[in-house]
Amino acid sequence: MTLTAVAPTTKTPLPESPRRFRVALAGNPNCGKTSLFNALTGARQHVANYPGVTVEKRTGQCEIGGSPAEIVDLPGTYSLNSYSPEERVAERELASRPDVVVVVADSMQLQRNLVLLVQILQTGANPVLCLNMADEARAAGQRLDVAMMERLLGLPVVETEANTGRGVAELLAAIRRASLAPIARHRVVLGEDLEGAIAAVSEHLPEDGALMLSGEWTAVRLLLGDVELSRRVAEMPAGGEAVYEAQRQRARLEAVTGLEIPVFVAERTFGFVDGLLRETRTPPPRIDARALSDRLDDVVAHPILGLPIFGAVLYAIFWLTFTLGEAPMGWIESGAGWIGQSVSSLWPAGSDSLLRSLLVDGVIAGVGGVLVFLPNILLLFLGLAFLEDTGYMARAAFLTDRLMHRFGLHGKSFIPMMTGFGCTVPGIMATRTLENEKDRLATMLVLPLMSCGARLPIWMLLIPAFFPPSWRAPVLWLVYATGIGLALALALLLRRTLLRGEDAPFVMELPPYRLPTLRSVLIKMIGRAGLYLRKAGTTILAISILLWAAMSFPKPASHQIDARIAAGEVVVAVPGAAASNGGHVTLSAADVAARRATEDLEFSAAGRIGHLLAPVFSPLGFDWKIVTAMIGALAAKEVFVAQMGIVYSIGDADAGAEGLRALLARDYSPLVGLSLMLFLLISAPCMATIAVTRRESGRWRWALLQLFGLTVIAYLTSLGVYQLGRLVV
Amino acid sequence: MFPAANTVPASMSEPLEDYLETIYLLVQEHGFARVRDIAKARDVRAATVSISLRKLSEAGLVNYVRREYIGLTEKGEEAARRILTRHRLLTRFFQEVLGMSPHAAGQQACAMEHSLTDEAMDRMVRFFEFLGTCPSVVQAFGQCPMGVRPGDEAPCGAGSETCAKCALNHKEASMSVSRLKPGQRAVVTQITATGPLRQRLLDMGILPETTIDVERSGPGGHPLWIRCQGAQLALRRAEADCIRVRQAS
Ligand SMILES: Nc1nc2c(ncn2[C@@H]2O[C@H](COP(=O)(O)OP(=O)(O)OP(=O)(O)O)[C@@H](O)[C@H]2O)c(=O)[nH]1
Ligand SMILES: [Mg+2]
Repeated sequence: MTLTAVAPTTKTPLPESPRRFRVALAGNPNCGKTSLFNALTGARQHVANYPGVTVEKRTGQCEIGGSPAEIVDLPGTYSLNSYSPEERVAERELASRPDVVVVVADSMQLQRNLVLLVQILQTGANPVLCLNMADEARAAGQRLDVAMMERLLGLPVVETEANTGRGVAELLAAIRRASLAPIARHRVVLGEDLEGAIAAVSEHLPEDGALMLSGEWTAVRLLLGDVELSRRVAEMPAGGEAVYEAQRQRARLEAVTGLEIPVFVAERTFGFVDGLLRETRTPPPRIDARALSDRLDDVVAHPILGLPIFGAVLYAIFWLTFTLGEAPMGWIESGAGWIGQSVSSLWPAGSDSLLRSLLVDGVIAGVGGVLVFLPNILLLFLGLAFLEDTGYMARAAFLTDRLMHRFGLHGKSFIPMMTGFGCTVPGIMATRTLENEKDRLATMLVLPLMSCGARLPIWMLLIPAFFPPSWRAPVLWLVYATGIGLALALALLLRRTLLRGEDAPFVMELPPYRLPTLRSVLIKMIGRAGLYLRKAGTTILAISILLWAAMSFPKPASHQIDARIAAGEVVVAVPGAAASNGGHVTLSAADVAARRATEDLEFSAAGRIGHLLAPVFSPLGFDWKIVTAMIGALAAKEVFVAQMGIVYSIGDADAGAEGLRALLARDYSPLVGLSLMLFLLISAPCMATIAVTRRESGRWRWALLQLFGLTVIAYLTSLGVYQLGRLVV
Repeated sequence: MFPAANTVPASMSEPLEDYLETIYLLVQEHGFARVRDIAKARDVRAATVSISLRKLSEAGLVNYVRREYIGLTEKGEEAARRILTRHRLLTRFFQEVLGMSPHAAGQQACAMEHSLTDEAMDRMVRFFEFLGTCPSVVQAFGQCPMGVRPGDEAPCGAGSETCAKCALNHKEASMSVSRLKPGQRAVVTQITATGPLRQRLLDMGILPETTIDVERSGPGGHPLWIRCQGAQLALRRAEADCIRVRQAS
């Protein structure tokens, strides 16, 4: 019956349901795979000028020759023999047999890039060679004979410029050509002896689908002595033969050539590539004058000047975040104020309308309070984009390696930590580039101490409230520096106790400097702004409403202040009347309203929780209002700012008239401000961080250690600072 | 001397060879050998010696000059000389090439001389002939820090065609990258790293015979910033130590 065939309830899969046409993008780190992926699919995946940006496989859609295709972006890998987790991703994807593999190569680094092509050919894949960064090669004066290369390799070869999208149409055509006429046998020549050995081993391989990649590649790996694969093959029926044969061939080749087999295989592979390039490449003319990039590095990566320059660059970013952000922040602030007043004026003055309170005190004070800092966030990310896209980040990692090493971290830990200035979650993801599990865990656990973008609004709110203008940028810098210092100290502690172990090797490629394109920077800014707005419109909005409710209900049946007025203890001053009233307290009408509001707040659910916890935090100088705001900050750090806005909007008649900062300065001393900032810097990371730590470490144990460990440290630090400060002041 | 565990390829049994050798040495020294002296040298009783002597005599290797005084026939002398040559070659090998003490080398030679085939001996002779013209191989082995660590490959780049290319001919020319100063250029001779690190370095294109330029170093001298095959890489000291180089010409 036709019906059953169509019915979605049918259990058996439809016969030959056409699998999506799949194209994988593979290549060395930093060769432009993600740029190409974005150009092909219109996605906006993160692109930056240092190796190891992409750590997870990403998929997107694209149309090739009129039919839909799935494009897979992969983490970069120097070879298929690698060991780090994110490089293994590429191998696994190849094993799932995509229809076409686009091998993306950096045209300026062809030797090394084409070695990966050779390996991919050996896996039996159907590749297209994409010579990316054609613009840079042209500028350097290198010329490639693409037609010749196609002929020698027997596969489609195209030149592209992924960051501008030039050549992408040709690439699509080449992918189509490759899919229509898959490569039958590759033309890689490695010499009779090596090829003979590979063939001898693959002959003995069991005919078994369990082998992930082609027999040829498996044979190469066995020859190279891959322990894990040898064990797997040996467990197969008749697999022992192949492993034994590989050992025999290895011994023979080593005896004949006098070279160790990995060196021998590498020499032959590089040899083939060299031969290919001799036929097809006109190398750039030798220029003796050192390139601009080198001269720049002589200053920027100077052994003595380098670190101070880096410190100055970071300082400049924070300073700009502050000063340039000030004006647009003011505009948004007054805009929010104006909206609040307009909405408020829809109701008669003094109205008790719940809806008005929800809109003005909850939504506008909460979400608006967070939106105010959008310009600062954008400026911070502009700074980070500059570091990432120029290639300076890799230089900074080079300069700080020794320092990081001294604290038990890895030079490569530095880039995830810098990413953490933007947001902790991608920072923790980026630790996947660390090969050593213990380095990785240590970096992950201390990463929340790198003050993230979500905490920037907190600093922007608190620093101007408590510090004079000339102090603001240095204090912000100090906050970040405190975070870094503490992160290093804790990493050292972890590496000396829970995470003791060997150092991992540090071999990092330093990319050439590149001029960030306006487009890529704009995409990053807009992407960031979108994320921030979305977060403000969802998480923060929802929590603001929730908190507003928690702060508004339950309402007390009557107010003490009214009882005292009725009892004649308090007299409400009538404007114009004489203010003398023997022994009684006289309050203005506004004061009375404020008293009522405060009583409401203290009676509310949030107020009660705050009061309950206040004794725990009073040694730190925090009152119940701060405590309620901090609970909200667990969900997302910005909520602290929203929450303070709501607390003051509901609980303070003056709110709106004066800025939130002035109110904070009125109610708290600078010492409380300092203690508060330290606590918020160090304490419990947000939920998303805990979740991603759990996922990336694979254990709840580490996530909980992070949550409680950091909170305890925060408590003790703030306690120490506040109590010492009180002695001094 | 030491008993050898291996079977004896020659027609003669191993103790007989030892007797022959002893007699040869005594004859060289005194012009004859006495049973008493043989017994003393071999640390056995005279009666035991007589039994062996009878066997040697039956094989036509020794003759009795007088009662008690024993000499070697021409055949015997040749056989003895052959054994002694092996002994000396092996002693020399263990002492001079492998660097063992004279006593240990002698004992080891005694244990092995009986099982050395003609082919192996021929090879060894040729090896020493080679050493005569190219003593640097042994010198290099003695000086190379790699030479004494178990599990390491021969230090001499066996792939290089001529000795001129062999970095180990000149001790000062072989060093690790970490000893290079910014601005220096060198040619890779060997990657001494093992496991994943070696694979990573090879993947990065750091192969024997490639040129490395040291561009600059980080604060305090490390990490090193090198240029190899057009790529710029940062290496820590531990990694740089694993790349042996010679000065580029
Ligand atoms: N001049 C030039 N720059 C390019 C080109 N393609 C990419 N880039 C730049 O090269 C850098 C690396 O690009 P990505 O797309 O992040 O490289 P990737 O291969 O995804 O890198 P990983 O994810 O780290 O493996 C970025 O700064 C890009 O802007 C190109 O064709 N020409
Ligand atoms: Mg990428």
